[in-house]
Amino acid sequence: MSMTNYEACAVIHQIRGEALIVNTMSAMFAITAVSPSALNLSSVPLMGGASGMGLGLAIAQPARPVMVLDGDASLLMELGTMAQIADVAPANLIHMVFNNNLQFSGAANLERPGRKLDFAAMARAAGYASAQRIETAADLAQILPGLIATPGPHFIDLAIAAPPKFAHRTPQPEFPDLQFQRMGAEAAKMMEALGTTR
Amino acid sequence: MANTDFSVPASRVHDILREKGVNAVTTVPDFIQFALHDRLLNDPGMTYVECAAENQALTCAMGMYVGGMEPIVMVQNQGLFNCINTLRSVGIDANIPLVILVGAFGREFDNLGKPLTESRRVMVNRTQPVVEALKLPFYAIETPDDLPRIAEAFDTARARKQAAVVHFGYFPAWN
Repeated sequence: MSMTNYEACAVIHQIRGEALIVNTMSAMFAITAVSPSALNLSSVPLMGGASGMGLGLAIAQPARPVMVLDGDASLLMELGTMAQIADVAPANLIHMVFNNNLQFSGAANLERPGRKLDFAAMARAAGYASAQRIETAADLAQILPGLIATPGPHFIDLAIAAPPKFAHRTPQPEFPDLQFQRMGAEAAKMMEALGTTR
Repeated sequence: MANTDFSVPASRVHDILREKGVNAVTTVPDFIQFALHDRLLNDPGMTYVECAAENQALTCAMGMYVGGMEPIVMVQNQGLFNCINTLRSVGIDANIPLVILVGAFGREFDNLGKPLTESRRVMVNRTQPVVEALKLPFYAIETPDDLPRIAEAFDTARARKQAAVVHFGYFPAWN
């Protein structure tokens, strides 16, 4: 059982309310398409940065829910943030990992290291308030409102289906300038929305 | 000159940080800045977050900044080398004006009073060139006379909307 990035993000969109969402990698494209908002901040191009940014935002904005839509390989790059998040224990943080066991998903679909790793078990061991594996969009829709209402930090390991990879005839992508300005532009927009611009 | 002539009082650094509105620290602790760590850790007006690695110190500080706080980042020179890509992303591409306090871990004492670039140790002699290669400002704090440069680092970072590095060449003093 699994869900697509878009199915997961559609559920998150329905439930997010005024939540700040830090996103990265394949979740970035899905949440941007499904739930565009000035309250979204992409960690791009910065693999691994989402969980740290989400923690910082959760500390600075304790009255708002903060969701981190992490990648599995991204979280692996910065596993230490799980220890940090558990130490600080921000009650308003929900850390989700979009777990498809791949690197460059939808492109090369390369296997990532740690294929036997149980992220939810790691989160529990680190000291998150709760941690679970969710296999379907319906299950995500069922548990997410309760997690927002319950003091966290919470961790969700989402079973994400692997998208098709590039075929040999697929044009190779060139990243536009916008990709490199995106994080700064979104940070500026989020600060405007929060009234923290200076 | 005695080695202590190269030591700046941590209390004066702390005062400058307060004057600049700093209310948060993210850090992978630095062997050089112990006295400053101690002061900031015990400052009830300061949110102090220990991080497992320097990338996390930078990204957490970015989140704090976007959320309305005024964080600094404290790491040592090795840590700065460890987070170059995140520094590029947060401190340049994303225009987050973080001031990063860096200690000169491993500096040999006979290099005190001489240019950092003449140190025999790579982690000491390449720090400034690496920061400047990123086109970020570098403020060397070598004696108490250099203390005004810390405020200048904040002013420059905020005006340019980019990171700036403040480099402590010797242990700040416990006074």
